[in-house]
Amino acid sequence: MATRTSTIVHKQSANPSFLKATFAIIWKDVAAEFRSREIFSAMLVFSLLVILIFNFALELDIVTRQSVTAGVLWVTFAFAGTLGLNRSMAVEKDRGCLDGLLLAPVDRAAIYFGKVISNLVFMLIVEAIVLPVYSFLYNVNLFNPGLLLVILLGSIGYIAVGTLLASMAIQARTRDVLLPILLFPVAIPVLIAAVKASEGFLAGSDFSTIYAPLSLLIGYDVIFTAIPYMVFDYVVEE
Amino acid sequence: MFPLEAPPDTSAYMIAGYVIFFVIAAIYLISLLVRWRNLNQDMTTLEAIEKDNKRKAEKPSKEQKN
Amino acid sequence: MQSKPPALKILDISSVLVLAIATYLALIYAPEEAVMGQVQRVFYFHIGTAWTGLLGFLFAAGLGIVYLVKQDIKWDIAGVAAVEISAVFFLITIMLGSIWARPIWNTWWTWDPRLTTAAITELIYIAYFMLREGIEDPDRRARFGAVYTLIGGISAPITFFAIRLFRTIHPVVIGGGDPNAQGTFAMTPHMEVAFFFGLFAFTVIFIDLFWNRIRMGQLAAKVEQLKLNLMH
Repeated sequence: MATRTSTIVHKQSANPSFLKATFAIIWKDVAAEFRSREIFSAMLVFSLLVILIFNFALELDIVTRQSVTAGVLWVTFAFAGTLGLNRSMAVEKDRGCLDGLLLAPVDRAAIYFGKVISNLVFMLIVEAIVLPVYSFLYNVNLFNPGLLLVILLGSIGYIAVGTLLASMAIQARTRDVLLPILLFPVAIPVLIAAVKASEGFLAGSDFSTIYAPLSLLIGYDVIFTAIPYMVFDYVVEE
Repeated sequence: MFPLEAPPDTSAYMIAGYVIFFVIAAIYLISLLVRWRNLNQDMTTLEAIEKDNKRKAEKPSKEQKN
Repeated sequence: MQSKPPALKILDISSVLVLAIATYLALIYAPEEAVMGQVQRVFYFHIGTAWTGLLGFLFAAGLGIVYLVKQDIKWDIAGVAAVEISAVFFLITIMLGSIWARPIWNTWWTWDPRLTTAAITELIYIAYFMLREGIEDPDRRARFGAVYTLIGGISAPITFFAIRLFRTIHPVVIGGGDPNAQGTFAMTPHMEVAFFFGLFAFTVIFIDLFWNRIRMGQLAAKVEQLKLNLMH
């Protein structure tokens, strides 16, 4: 109870070091990842394998490619995202970094946003490599600004809720299997909206048909950044 | 909607539906009862162990409680 | 454990009674529907469990918020009770709906918004129990459970709207008129009696189960506490 009130007080005093703390966490993650490359390489190799498997599973000929590209891409991103999220949070836990961070006099929300942004960076880098590889392998042009926007928005929503759930999952006994089970049913709206919007942009449809999924995506991002921000304290509290 | 004079005979589905309802309800009730009984058993055993521990702790020396 | 309070005993008996009456009203009192035939009678229990199940999930999300604010384990015990009973009710809803759909839509399952949302909601609450299962510390388990019911309670309606981007064939019996819906019907007064009594009956049954389940949760918490005390 005492820690609870102290963190609340902490949050209320408009902390000038909030941004500094957030950036410190991002910087720590990116620097550590730059040295070990373990999360990034796992995500990347895994995504490429998923795309290869889809090639055999769906017989991606010219006609099918048109209709399933958006779906294949988002399934790949979702799977790779879970892998990255699990690893990035498990590393914190195993090396005792999380405990250190929690002891540090920084706002818990700064820890949350720091983790979200560094996870997002990993996911976007993987996506930035997967997209050209996919275009190259299947001869589909994916360099469409609309599609890139959808990928950014979809990744934000997915990572925002995923970071919260991953920090719960790693504290459970069954942590390796738990994250996808917790995350997928909750992330379904963002995946549906992202697939619909990507399909629309890829097919070059009229903006009026893309408007609904796109606004849903933005709404999801806002809601699922705000809620984890509010409840993250309860998830990391000892 | 359906170009039919008399309603189709769908009573088999109706019966199946209500059978499934009562089966699931029964399974849930039984699971509640079983869990309740197990908890009660645990409770009595735990209380017995606790009493035992207290007695043991009191007899030789009062070094440990709980 | 002390014996059941008399009010709960009365509630137990009345829920058995209302279930019997609801079954009578649905199976015998209500007339046979002209287009769909006998299978339409499944609808009374389908809607009854669906409504109470949905409200139960919302209620659980509310209890989750109360738990996070108050940090008192009793709210968590109530939350688990609500989620568990709602999950059972929702399973019944899905299975009854599926049985109704076979003769009417000619398929056991279709990826319609309501069906899909129902299935995903059920999966969210199965995940909820798997999450709790994996955590030993009671306070942490309660906190995580509360957070997840909150996230799930917000995500489920969004899922519904997301899938609404596709078309629906699910009938809306109360206050709806989607021309694409298949299996809609107008209720006669007798049907309305069976329908509203069904809603009432399942509400009573929910409250009765909820109370019983809370008592069980309290006992489980006591047992867990005793075990922890003995280990130290």
